[in-house]
Amino acid sequence: MIWALLAAHVVVAAAIPAFAARVGGRASLWLAGAPMAATAIWAWTQLGTTTTTSVGVEWVTGLDLEFAFRVDAMGALLAVLVSGIGALVCVYASGYFSASAAGVGRFAATLLAFSTAMLGLVWAETVWTLFVFWELTSVTSFLLVGFKNTDPVARTAARRALVITASGGLVLLAGFVLFVDAAGSARLTELSALSGGQATAAGVLVIVAAATKSAQVPFHVWLPGAMAAPTPVSAYLHSATMVKAGVILIALLAPALRDTDAWKPLGLTFGIITIVWGAIGALRHVDAKLILAWGTVSQLGLLVTLLAVGTGKATFAAMSILVAHAVFKAALFMVVGDIDVRTGTRDINQLHGLARSMPVAFVVAVLAGASMAGVPPMLGFPAKEAAVEAVLGLSGFDQFIVGVGVLGGSVLTVAYTARLLLGVFSPARRGDEPTAVAPRRWAMSGPEIVLGAASLLGFVFLTWVTDVVVRPVSVLVQQSSEVYSLIRWPGLKDAFVISCIIIGLGAVIGWVLHRRRVVDGPLPRGAYGVDWGIDSIVVLARRVAAIVQHGSLPAYLATTVLVLLAAISPFYAEVDIGVLYRWDNATQAALVVLVVAASIAATIIRTRLAAAMVLGAVGFGVAGLFFGQGAPDLVLTQLLVETVVVVGFVVGLGALRRRFPAVSRPWLVWRIIASVCVGIVVAVALAASASDRTGTPPIDELTEGAVNEGGGNNVVNVILTDIRALDTLGEVVVLIVVALGILTLAKVRRDEEASGLDAHPIDESDDDERLTEDVSS
Amino acid sequence: MIASRSPIVRLAIQAASPLAIMIGAFALFAGHNQPGGGFAAGLLFGAVVVLRTVAGLQRPEHAVGYLAWGGVIVCVCALAPLLWGEPLLNQVVIEGTVPVLGKVKSGSALPFDIGVTLIVVGLILSLLDGLGATDLSQDARRTSRVRRAEIDVRTGESSGASEDKA
Repeated sequence: MIWALLAAHVVVAAAIPAFAARVGGRASLWLAGAPMAATAIWAWTQLGTTTTTSVGVEWVTGLDLEFAFRVDAMGALLAVLVSGIGALVCVYASGYFSASAAGVGRFAATLLAFSTAMLGLVWAETVWTLFVFWELTSVTSFLLVGFKNTDPVARTAARRALVITASGGLVLLAGFVLFVDAAGSARLTELSALSGGQATAAGVLVIVAAATKSAQVPFHVWLPGAMAAPTPVSAYLHSATMVKAGVILIALLAPALRDTDAWKPLGLTFGIITIVWGAIGALRHVDAKLILAWGTVSQLGLLVTLLAVGTGKATFAAMSILVAHAVFKAALFMVVGDIDVRTGTRDINQLHGLARSMPVAFVVAVLAGASMAGVPPMLGFPAKEAAVEAVLGLSGFDQFIVGVGVLGGSVLTVAYTARLLLGVFSPARRGDEPTAVAPRRWAMSGPEIVLGAASLLGFVFLTWVTDVVVRPVSVLVQQSSEVYSLIRWPGLKDAFVISCIIIGLGAVIGWVLHRRRVVDGPLPRGAYGVDWGIDSIVVLARRVAAIVQHGSLPAYLATTVLVLLAAISPFYAEVDIGVLYRWDNATQAALVVLVVAASIAATIIRTRLAAAMVLGAVGFGVAGLFFGQGAPDLVLTQLLVETVVVVGFVVGLGALRRRFPAVSRPWLVWRIIASVCVGIVVAVALAASASDRTGTPPIDELTEGAVNEGGGNNVVNVILTDIRALDTLGEVVVLIVVALGILTLAKVRRDEEASGLDAHPIDESDDDERLTEDVSS
Repeated sequence: MIASRSPIVRLAIQAASPLAIMIGAFALFAGHNQPGGGFAAGLLFGAVVVLRTVAGLQRPEHAVGYLAWGGVIVCVCALAPLLWGEPLLNQVVIEGTVPVLGKVKSGSALPFDIGVTLIVVGLILSLLDGLGATDLSQDARRTSRVRRAEIDVRTGESSGASEDKA
C-alpha cells in the first residue's frame, strides 16, 4: 500500500505536465488532489495504530543504504495532515487561480511533487531516506515559492528560502553521518538513547538543521519573504507541512538524542527566542498574510521549545499543538487568500467590514482564530492548556524561562489574532469606505469550511483526538506511556486561570494595537543580509572567472608552460647524464637537424601558409624518427595527423590574413623564453624517465597478452582495443565532446551571421584578438 | 579555395578518393594484426573528406550522425559483455573460414574499432565545419567566376586565401 500510494503520487505528478494543456489548469489541480486524498483516507484508517508497517528496497549493497518507509502512529497522523490538507489545498487552488491563469498545470505538478517529498519525509524509516526527501522538499518548495517566476521579488524570496534550507540540509547530512556512526543503525525504528561527544555534536547539527527548516530565529528570515508565493502554497507549505519538517525531525530523533548535553539548551534557546520574536513580528505588520507568517514562526518556536523540554506533558502538548496548528493555520491562510482574491488587498488597514460581506470567511476565521488564540470551544484551547500544564510541571530555572516563552508568547498570540480579526472584519469606521467584494468562489470556501469546522470538531470529539491521534504519537516520541490527556473543561484549576489571564491580556493588547493602526514593518534585516551574501558570492565568482578566464590565448599558453615547468621540477635531480647517448644511427641525426631547422623556420616565417607547411615538415620529420625506432603504427598515425592538419590549415587560413601580425620585441622575447621552457620540460621529463627505470619493461607481458588473449599480432592496436580499451573509450568520449563543442561554436557563429548580428567582426589589424574572441565565445 | 580553382587538383582528388577509402578500409580491418586500426582508418577517411571539401566536391555535413553512431557502437561494444556476466569491454575472438579470403580471425574489437573510426571522421567533419568550410563549395564556385575577376581588377593580386572570405 505504501509503495502504491507513493507510486501514484510520482506517476500523476509526472503525467500532469503532459495533460495540463489539454484538460486545463483546474482539472490538473483536481488530478493532483486525487492521490493525496487517497493517501489521506488510507492514513486515516491507520490512525492510532500500534503496529509498524515497514517496506524497503536496497539501494546500495554494502553501504547499508536502503530506501525504506514505515508507517506507525506518527507516520499515519502526519500523512493525514500532509495529504489531507494537500488535497484541500488542491481544491482551494482550483478556485484561487482564475480559469485563464497561466502555468496552473505546472503548479499542480509541483505541488504534488512537493506533497510526495513530504510524504516520503514523514514515512522515512532510515535517516538517509529522510535526508533525500528533506532535500526534495527544499527544492520543490523553491519552485513553489518562485512560482511567479517573472516577478523578481518572488525569485529573490525563493532563492533565499532555498539557500537557507539547503544549507540546513548540508548541516543535517553531517549530523546524520555522526548520528549513524554513534548509533550504529540508520533506522528510526531502532533508536536507543545516546550520549557522549559525538552524539552531542550530532544533536547540535540536527537541531540547527531543524531550525533552518522550521524558521527558528535567526534562520526565520526566509519565511516572511516566502509569502510572495501564491496563497495556496503558503497555506500548505508554510502552515501544515514543510515548516513542520524541522519539528518532525526533532520529534523523530528525540528518543535517541534527548539526553545529549546540548540538545535541550540549544532547542530552548532557539524556541523561546523564536516564540517571542515571531509574535512581535506578527504585531508589526499590516499585511494579513505576513501576520500569519510571523505567527507561524512564533508557533514553530513553541513546538521546538516544548519538544526540547522533553517531559511527557511537554511532548504531549507539542503534538497536540502540531495538529491544532496545522488545521487552524491552513484555514486562516485560505481565508486570507480568499479575501485577497475577492477584494484585491491583504492590508488590514484597508479592509473593513468583511464580516457582513464575506460571512463564510468570517465564520471560518473566527473559528480558526479562536483555535489559534486558545479560546474554547476550539481544539487550540486544550492544546494550549496542555502547554501551560507542561510549564507548571517544570521547576526552577527551566520553569522560569519556558514559562516566560510559552506564556508571553501566548499573550502575544492572542493579541495578534485579535488584531487580525478586528482589522479585517470589524465594521468600517467613520470616513472609511466599506471594502468592495467580488462574488464568492465555492472551490475556495469549501476547504475553508472543512478546516474551520475541524477546529471545532476537534474540541467536540476531544476524547477521540486524545486517544487515537495525539497519545499514540506522543508515546512513540517519548518512548514511555507516561503522558497526558487533553481536557475539555478543566474547571477552575491553575492552568485555566492562567489561560483566562492570557486571553484577557492579549485581547486588550490586540485592541489597543488595532486602534493605533501601525504601519507595515520591514522584512527582517537578516533577509537582506542573506541576499547580500548570495549576491556577493555571484559577484566574487564573476571576478574570479574574469581573472582566470581572461580570454588571452598567449597567456593561457604561458600559464600551461609555467605549470609544466613547476610540475616537472622534482625530476630535475633525477636526470642521470650517464644514460644519455648520442644516437642509434646517423639517419636520426639528419632527421633531427631537419626537425630543428623546420621548427626554427616556423618561428621566423611571416606567411601563415608557409608556416603551416613548415610545421607539417616538423611532423613528418618526427614520423621519420618513429620509423627509425621501428614503430610503424606511430608512423602511420603521425603521418595521417600531419596531413589532415596541414590541409585543415589551408581551409582555416582562408578566414585569416596571409601574414602574421607584427610582434613587439618584448613579446617576442617572452615567446622565445616560453618555447625554450617547453623544450626543457619535455627533455627533462624524458631524460628523467629514462634515468630511473626500476621495474621490468612490460613489453613481454603486453606482447604475450596481445597474441594470446587479444587475438592480434599488432600489439599497439590490441592495447587500444582490448588491453587498455577503457582508456580508448574515455578518449573517444573526449573526442565526441570536443567535436560537439566545435559544432556548437560553429552554429552560434552561423546563427549570429544569419541574424545580421556579427558578434565577431573581422578585424584585419589584430588577428590574435580575433582568435581570442572566437575561443572565448 | 586554391584547389577548387584548379581542375587538375580537383580531378586528382576525385580520382584518389576511392583509393584512399580502400586503403582506409584495409587499415581498419587489418589493424588487429598489421599497422592500422580505428584511429588510422578514421584519419585516412578524414583526410579524404578534408581534401574533397577543399576541392569543393562535398560539404562537411552529418558530423553529428557520425559522432552519434560511433558513440553508440563503442558503448554497445563496451557494455555488451556485461549482459553475459563478462567484465566491461571484454573481447570475444571469432575464427572462421570465408570463401575467397580463406581463414579469417576477427573479434569484438572490430566493431569497437569501427566506432572509433566513425568518431574520428565525425571530429574531422566538425573541425571543418568549425573552420567555416561549409560555405567552401558555394564560395569556391563564386570565387572562381566572379571574385577572381574582381580581385584581378582591383589589386592584380592572384591567390591570397584571405580575400576569399566576404
